Amino acid sequence: MDAVISAFGLVFEPQVLGVILASAVFGMFVGAIPGLTATMATALLVPITFFMSPVAALGAIVTATAMAIFAGDIPGAMLRMPGTPASAAYADESYQMTRKGQLDLCMGVNLVFSVAGGLFGVVFLIAFAPMLAEVAINFSSFEYFWLACLGLTCAIFIGTGDSLKGLLSLFIGLAIATVGIDPAAGQPRFTFGNVDLLSGIDFIPAMIGMFAVSELLRGAVSMDKAGEVVKQAVGNMFTGLSAVWKKYWKNFFRGSAVGTTIGILPGAGADIAAWVSYAVSKKLSKEPEKFGTGHVEGIVDSTSANNSALGGAWIPALVFGIPGDSITAIVIGVLYMKGMNPGPTVFQQSPELIYAVFIIFILANLIMLPLGWAAIKSAKQILRVPKNILTPIIVIFCLVGAFAMTNSAYGIVLMLTMGVFGWWLEEHDIPVAPLILGLVLGQMLEQNFMSSMIKANGALMGFFERPLAGTIGVLTLLLWGMMIWRGLTAKKPVEAAAA
Amino acid sequence: MKFNDAIVGAIFIVIAGLMIQQSFSFPGFPGQDYGPNLFPRIIAGGIILCSVLLILRGLRTRAATGQAWLAFDDWTRVPRHLISFFLIIGAMLAYILISDTLGFIITAFVLQLGLFLWFSVRPVTAVVVAVVSTLVVQYFFASLLRVPLPRGLLDSIL
Repeated sequence: MDAVISAFGLVFEPQVLGVILASAVFGMFVGAIPGLTATMATALLVPITFFMSPVAALGAIVTATAMAIFAGDIPGAMLRMPGTPASAAYADESYQMTRKGQLDLCMGVNLVFSVAGGLFGVVFLIAFAPMLAEVAINFSSFEYFWLACLGLTCAIFIGTGDSLKGLLSLFIGLAIATVGIDPAAGQPRFTFGNVDLLSGIDFIPAMIGMFAVSELLRGAVSMDKAGEVVKQAVGNMFTGLSAVWKKYWKNFFRGSAVGTTIGILPGAGADIAAWVSYAVSKKLSKEPEKFGTGHVEGIVDSTSANNSALGGAWIPALVFGIPGDSITAIVIGVLYMKGMNPGPTVFQQSPELIYAVFIIFILANLIMLPLGWAAIKSAKQILRVPKNILTPIIVIFCLVGAFAMTNSAYGIVLMLTMGVFGWWLEEHDIPVAPLILGLVLGQMLEQNFMSSMIKANGALMGFFERPLAGTIGVLTLLLWGMMIWRGLTAKKPVEAAAA
Repeated sequence: MKFNDAIVGAIFIVIAGLMIQQSFSFPGFPGQDYGPNLFPRIIAGGIILCSVLLILRGLRTRAATGQAWLAFDDWTRVPRHLISFFLIIGAMLAYILISDTLGFIITAFVLQLGLFLWFSVRPVTAVVVAVVSTLVVQYFFASLLRVPLPRGLLDSIL
């Protein structure tokens, strides 16, 4: 109980609350602008969080992402363009509602169910993370090695449409993670005599490059594709909500449960949660024919799902140090930077930090209600901020952010290189999220493998001798077998296209 | 700019090959069978495996649909978009090269102004926004967060 009280003390400090509020406004703004994503919001925030206390830093990221995921719904309904990929699944449906004159209801549903879905995810996080941590405390390097393997496998298994390219991207990320001094023997690898490379590929500049610079490059060539904001004014968005709740409360619980589960799975985040729950909703609906014509049912499911996924994604991140999506991958990078190794020991050694994260999550979802209301009311002004003014400003932000991580031009060189590389990969439909996961987990994977090998005197069977390690190991191997089997028996893409 | 999957695969095979070649220069771990060269080799092996599959797929797609080795997207044919693309990269390169000499304030202002004008922001707006955002970033990062942004020419004033 003491930990809970000290957690409240940590969060309810004027400075931390100020950071949370500022990040909330920032997240709303970034989320509402099509082309600027929640991941980009996090990427731009991280250099700033570097200078904050751990609690303020976590608060900033949690709040900004929660807001951005909701705010992405706004341009969906008003411009027919999702503000973030997480809203893409139902942007069309929302816009159809607007065309039917139901903009108020649509915005109300999006706001209230986003808040409720977010809280659902938090409840899940609070209930299960400490429980899992108690199991995880018994894990040794053997279990962690398998867990990292399992996490990486899941990332390509569910995260992307094209598993081959996802796998390739993952290997590239792992390869990049080997640059620098190796974790076991202290041998410099792939540094080519460069002093900067000795410290490895700095995670933050790399991530700003992959998520922000590549986005800027894509945006720069489609500058004039601006949408037309709908003329409809937003009235009282809370009328009619109780009727929606009475009719679709089951959808809310289903959507949130689907969202949280997908959030927990490594590699899949809010965007996939929204797509899956929308599809589930349509499949199980009594009136599937209404989907796509401005029907509120699917929106209830998916807008709850994408916000609940956020809380879910933090479960593996906090308990095992294995990210549930690209945002928590960034969070883990930040925690390492702060000298806190995410994992079950944090639950024992500094439980107040874990409780602080819980409190921030609840707080973020609660202030979403008034802030979201304000954002919807002022949406027309926000959506009118032209991209041609935003792009150069973001360029400067990226430059300064990357510079601040190394205090030298090295950070910027790294960011630019990774940005162009990330852009090139995505041009070839190679997703960058597995790469970032590989970059974050690479060191951990190798370190756990090496220390396990030293413990087991080089016997590979050591990885199966402990009952827990053996179970996770066999599970991982089974999953690999399944993937290979699927790869071999799947219809070749060309034949599928030709058929 | 989009290469056929086979070419993408070939590029990565070359990179993975270089990785393996480099890994021979890593000394072993005393008393261990596994040293610092193990992981790079496994990873390079993974890259090669994926790349081979990618090459096969690329060749099959090409045989079935006649996909070109290298295709250009629509925007690459519009000179204005092409310039926009390289201006973003160029601005960042320029920052790396000149910010130490000119200092953050002048560099950031000039780069933003240039980009604004290219993206057809009205000149007055462009100047005002460039000044304001440069000063805000300078204040926030240099004064509040104490990031040593280069001072350059303005060293004596700041």
